[in-house]
This record gives sequence, structure tokens and C-alpha cells, in this order.
Amino acid sequence: MHELGIVFEIIKIVDRFVAENDLSQVEKIVLEVGQLSSAVPKFLESCFPAAVNDTPYAHTKLEIIIIPAMAACNSCHEQFNLVEHRRVCPNCHSDQSTLLTGREFSIKEIVAC
Amino acid sequence: MKPFKVIEVKESIFEDNNKQADLLRMQLKSDKTFLLNLMSSPGSGKTTTLVKTMHSLKDVLNIGVMEADIDSDVDARTISETGVKVIQLHTGGMCHLDADMTKQGLNELEHEGLDLVILENVGNLVCPAEFDTGACKSAAILSVPEGDDKPLKYPLMFSVIDVLLINKIDTLPYFDFNYEAVVERVKKINPKIEIIPISAKTGEGLDRWTNWLQTEVNNWKNQSS
Repeated sequence: MHELGIVFEIIKIVDRFVAENDLSQVEKIVLEVGQLSSAVPKFLESCFPAAVNDTPYAHTKLEIIIIPAMAACNSCHEQFNLVEHRRVCPNCHSDQSTLLTGREFSIKEIVAC
Repeated sequence: MKPFKVIEVKESIFEDNNKQADLLRMQLKSDKTFLLNLMSSPGSGKTTTLVKTMHSLKDVLNIGVMEADIDSDVDARTISETGVKVIQLHTGGMCHLDADMTKQGLNELEHEGLDLVILENVGNLVCPAEFDTGACKSAAILSVPEGDDKPLKYPLMFSVIDVLLINKIDTLPYFDFNYEAVVERVKKINPKIEIIPISAKTGEGLDRWTNWLQTEVNNWKNQSS
């Protein structure tokens, strides 16, 4: 049910954006979802139709861009994917790193008129 | 018909909620009410801990409790037996509370004149960590039987809280729970956190917890004046 609440939140933001920019029709909503954000893209997609049913966005498409979970090693500064390497630097095997990307969860853009 | 165009939004999904949460905190500051967001997994002893906390603080502070639950009032009834003001919030199937729901709850509770309001969030270590409720401080309870790997599995929860209560500490001899490892794991993601071992059942450590809470309530009030 986590994703459903998030989709409602997305619709609230789009609603406000549409009103502020005097738009009449939204064709597509583009999200950026980090690999480490707690939302599962597949579930976002599957609950989207239910959430937009009976709203002005019933025919709006949803596109999700996945942002990889990248980190920089605190010891050797190697940049690596945290999920693939299970949080351990593939170069020097340190488990201390600083997250660069992957927690994003935002509306990147909308296609509208 | 106007042509469709790509319009940059660049807004965090949590932006709207974060703004609401900041507004709510400002309101609470002028009302001199300290709101604590209490989170944990189901079965960690949240309600028992709350009941014990109410017993030791209800004579010194005016307290209110908001019980968030998907669909029951079991916890609210238990808490109301302590004599403090309590309301039940039903999240209607949602797994967390957001700032707007918290605000509605506070209005329903009629929090004017209350020194401390505790929000017992939905029992879950994932979603409540994502949404700022507008609380002044956040706490979580981890109980010994749940295991010492929880900070590794749910790092976000352990990074957003100000205080961690490690409950059921009296059962430590019976479980493979490495207390030092938990402290180390939690401090690594959240160096400023306060960690307090307690047993809501035996009362161990509860003084330190209620002292922490009382100090925070006083600090909040002094900041507002």
C-alpha cells in the first residue's frame, strides 16, 4: 500500500503544478526514482491506473527513470554501484562510502499543454 | 488544440509533505506543544512502553496520545486506561502518516494546553521513515527478539530518529542479540543519536527515557518563548 500513498502524493503535486501553470491536459508524468528510494517502480506503475481513475489524469501515461545507487569509496574514492557490490568497494574492499545518487524520488517533468 | 510540450517540474515527491511538516512544527512551537513521533515494528512493545511512560509523566505534564492504526482501536483503549487524552487515527489502509493527517489528528485531539503529544505511528520500519509528520523529534523502538540486524535492513529508519529505545532488554540472555553491534551499526549511520536500553516490563532504563523526554519538552517550550 506504500506505493499507492506515494502515487496520491504525486497527483497532488501535479494538480498544483497544472493549476499554477494554467495547463489543460497532461499527457505524461516522468518520475525519477533512485534505486535506494523505498518505492518499487513496478508497484508504482501497477497502482497508478487505480489512483488516477476518475481524475483528469485517467489517460495520463507514467514513465519512470531509474537512477542508479552510486557511491564514492571513502578510502580510495572509487565510484561504484552500491547495490551491485553489496555496499563494499570493488577496488579496496572498504565498507565506508558516501552516497552520490540513488535516493532521488522526484517528478522530473510532465508533458502537457 | 495547443501542442504538448515537455515542462520541467523537478520537484521531490516528498516536497509538499515536507512543507506541510515545517508549517506544523512552527504552529506547535507557538502553541508550546512538543510532538514526538514514535515508530517501530509491530510487537516491539510500543504500547506497553507508552503506558509506562504515561504513568511516570502524567502528573508533571499534560499529555495527549494519537494512536495511528490501519483499522482498529485496540491500542487507543489500552492507552486511555492511563487517564491521558487519547484519540485513534485510522489511516484507511495507508502504511504511514503524513503531516496533513497528523495536523488533522492534533485538531481533533484539541492539543491546546498540552505539553506533550505522542504520535504512535503505524507499526512498520519502512514507510513512516519516509514521511515527515511535522513532529519536533522522532523516536523508534527496537526490541531484542527482533534481532540485531534491523539497522542494516532498515537504515533509513535509524538515520531519521533522534532517540532509539532498545526494548525487552531483560530478554538479552535468551537471544542472539549483540547489543554492542547494534550500537555500532546505528551510530555509524546516525552519530548524534541517543540510544537507551529499556525494559517496559521490568521498568529498567525507563527513568533515563522519561528524563530525555522531559528535557526535550522543556527545551521546546523555552525555545518558543
